[in-house]
Amino acid sequence: MTAASAKPSSKELSRVLTEGYLLDARTAHEHGKYVAYTTAVSPVELFVAHDVIPIYPENHAVACLTKRMGTELSLAMEKQGYTSHLCAYARSDLGYRITGKSAMGGIPDPDFLLACNAQCFTLTKWFEVLSRKYEVPLFVFDTPQWIREPGARKEIVKYCVAQLKELIAALEQLTGKKYDYDRLAQVMAYSQQASVLYRRFLDMAAYKPSPISIFDALIHMAITVYLRGTPQAVEYYQILCDEIQAKADQGVGVIADERFRLYWENLPVWFKFKDHFNLLKSYGANILTSLYVHAWSYEFDLAKDPLETLAENYCSRFSNVTLEERAEMALDLFRRYSMNGSIMFVNRSCKAVSFAVYTLKEIITETTGYPALIFESDMGDPRFYSEAQIKTRIEAFLETLQRRQAAGA
Amino acid sequence: MVEQRNIKPAALTRLQEIANDPYGCLADLRKRKRIIGSTLADVPEELIHAAGLHPFLILGTNNPIRHSAALLPDNSCSLARSNLELVVGYQSAFFDGFVLSQVCDTTQHLGDIWKRKFPDHYFENFLTPRQVARPSARAWYAEECRRLRGALEQYAGRAITDAALRESFALYNENRALLRRLYAIKREAPALMTNREFFDAVKAGFFMDRGEHNELVQAVVQWAEQTKDHQASANGYFRVICVGIVVEPPALYDMIDEVKGTIVADNLCTASRYIFYDVETKGDPAEALADRHLRKPYFTPINEDVRRIYADLISLCRDNNGEAIFYVHIKYCESQDYDLPDIKAAMRTEGIPFLELETEYQTTHLAQLKTRLQAFCESLFTKGAQGGVR
Repeated sequence: MTAASAKPSSKELSRVLTEGYLLDARTAHEHGKYVAYTTAVSPVELFVAHDVIPIYPENHAVACLTKRMGTELSLAMEKQGYTSHLCAYARSDLGYRITGKSAMGGIPDPDFLLACNAQCFTLTKWFEVLSRKYEVPLFVFDTPQWIREPGARKEIVKYCVAQLKELIAALEQLTGKKYDYDRLAQVMAYSQQASVLYRRFLDMAAYKPSPISIFDALIHMAITVYLRGTPQAVEYYQILCDEIQAKADQGVGVIADERFRLYWENLPVWFKFKDHFNLLKSYGANILTSLYVHAWSYEFDLAKDPLETLAENYCSRFSNVTLEERAEMALDLFRRYSMNGSIMFVNRSCKAVSFAVYTLKEIITETTGYPALIFESDMGDPRFYSEAQIKTRIEAFLETLQRRQAAGA
Repeated sequence: MVEQRNIKPAALTRLQEIANDPYGCLADLRKRKRIIGSTLADVPEELIHAAGLHPFLILGTNNPIRHSAALLPDNSCSLARSNLELVVGYQSAFFDGFVLSQVCDTTQHLGDIWKRKFPDHYFENFLTPRQVARPSARAWYAEECRRLRGALEQYAGRAITDAALRESFALYNENRALLRRLYAIKREAPALMTNREFFDAVKAGFFMDRGEHNELVQAVVQWAEQTKDHQASANGYFRVICVGIVVEPPALYDMIDEVKGTIVADNLCTASRYIFYDVETKGDPAEALADRHLRKPYFTPINEDVRRIYADLISLCRDNNGEAIFYVHIKYCESQDYDLPDIKAAMRTEGIPFLELETEYQTTHLAQLKTRLQAFCESLFTKGAQGGVR
């Protein structure tokens, strides 16, 4: 922050907020607070309103995988009998539990675990392991697939609201404190404001040239994941939107000569982040978005009962809708952001997202007529990343795009 | 007691024929009823039956994968790949519709892909609760039963009355009771029938008309009751607890038979989880189905207490005087992958000999498994029940 400016930059604020958040979590018990591990997509608003600090082992794993610690941590857990087929986040986390090695000084141990299966089923099993290890309760928030039947959806919401009430009872038991619903209403309001701003930030990818790439989205989504429901998250996304809007207004794009606007399917290959960006840039290609980064674009309806709007939002994430609806969500992004190609990653780590990819490719290419590249690898373990092969395939795909463009397709 | 020659009844032979080639019987059934395929583990078949339809449990194929490789990655569980392969590649003409239950990420996607592949078939998801620890699970299971009932009524073009449902419950309860009785006799008289014979008898029921299955199992039970005293000697047999989801390929049972292991208890979806506990025929049918669901033995993807993954196995083994646990691990089954290290550690602590048998439809190397099994048994008996954990 400069002396003259009143507001910090989003980058500065992100650092300050992250440090503060981790400090709070590490000193939670000293301040009469509790630490709960939870999944990135989960009704964390219930924690925030009850002085329970959410910690995301997935985020910690991302930090480790980005620093290329994936193989080392995985090998540690493989030695204890786990298989390398599991999710790289889980492997990294269980490896950290064994070795104590971390890219960010570790995370505090949990008092409580919440697994929401709208995101995936893996987390439930991973958290079961942690629940046994730390002898702390595990609450599974079960979100049945958000199938397209209005009657069924109504019943799903009822089931989920009943579970959220059970979760509140479990939190009251954990803390010995009565739940404060007025405070929840306030938290919901912050969460809704931050979500609106986060979505606005993501939607700036619609500008031509785009002032953001998916790599920006992946960096900036961190705050909404772990500080959702706080005024700090609202402030952060307001500052971020202002910064990006200024770039868009000046016509500043991430890629100066933006020729290809691409869709990315799946989570990123965390340890190849920069390499992928640079490779694409050299061809004038920018990956604008993915459904993954939109998973935190919630649309809370504050006029509704908070538990009902939480249930609706957490059930309807892209990872929990039908394949048909997921394809429609992706096609909506295609239209809104004027994209003209896809890179689709079949991620060995993430069955929940990857098992649909072959069929999604079929639907998206049939509907848009734009080409798509599929490649298989792992988001966090370089042992499953075939450097030369994947690079060649991406280059060949970009050359195809060039030829199509030259031919006026 | 003098052991007599053990002549197996024709009913048992017939059950085995059906278990090992179910599609002949399916073709006959299809002349009378529409066939609804479902997948493990929790679709309440009684609802399909009460709608005048024939429920058929799809249990994959050991034929080579040709079609499903383009639809699911090779690190998806082979049961899912093989189920899809069977229907896409070989048997789509046998089915009129499907009800697929969702228990994990793989089964959730499988349902979507399946639905897209068979747009002309009836299709319904059964959204099994993936938590069973709290009261909401029971309410949700019952609600899903009501939704499925409505959907089946619409498809079948007829109402499923409570009376029809109770008749189906009674028929399936009879089936479960007969199989439980047969299991109890097998336990008492291990020489009476092989593991393969017993589990084939159970498996045939997944495919056949339930009334006909009851008649055949009844005949086998009668034979078993009459013959058991002559085959009661447990000499030379050791008592095995079989754990897992499915035992495929079924040649695994033959291997256990060859080493003279007799399965005395299990928690398989294709055995105890299928035949234990009846549906109450009084009261609200959906709630009765929910009650049965929640009483079933522990199931790796979904359980109410994280310690049940080993606590139940220890009890199962102790209560049945088991001498070893054989854990059948389907390759790439994530649930089992996460459970196994803690299960093995608990077995070490308890001193229960434990053998993991990793299987995969299509590519299971039977010779390797056989060697592992033989080596384990050798160690188990030469070292005085210290087979260890493998």
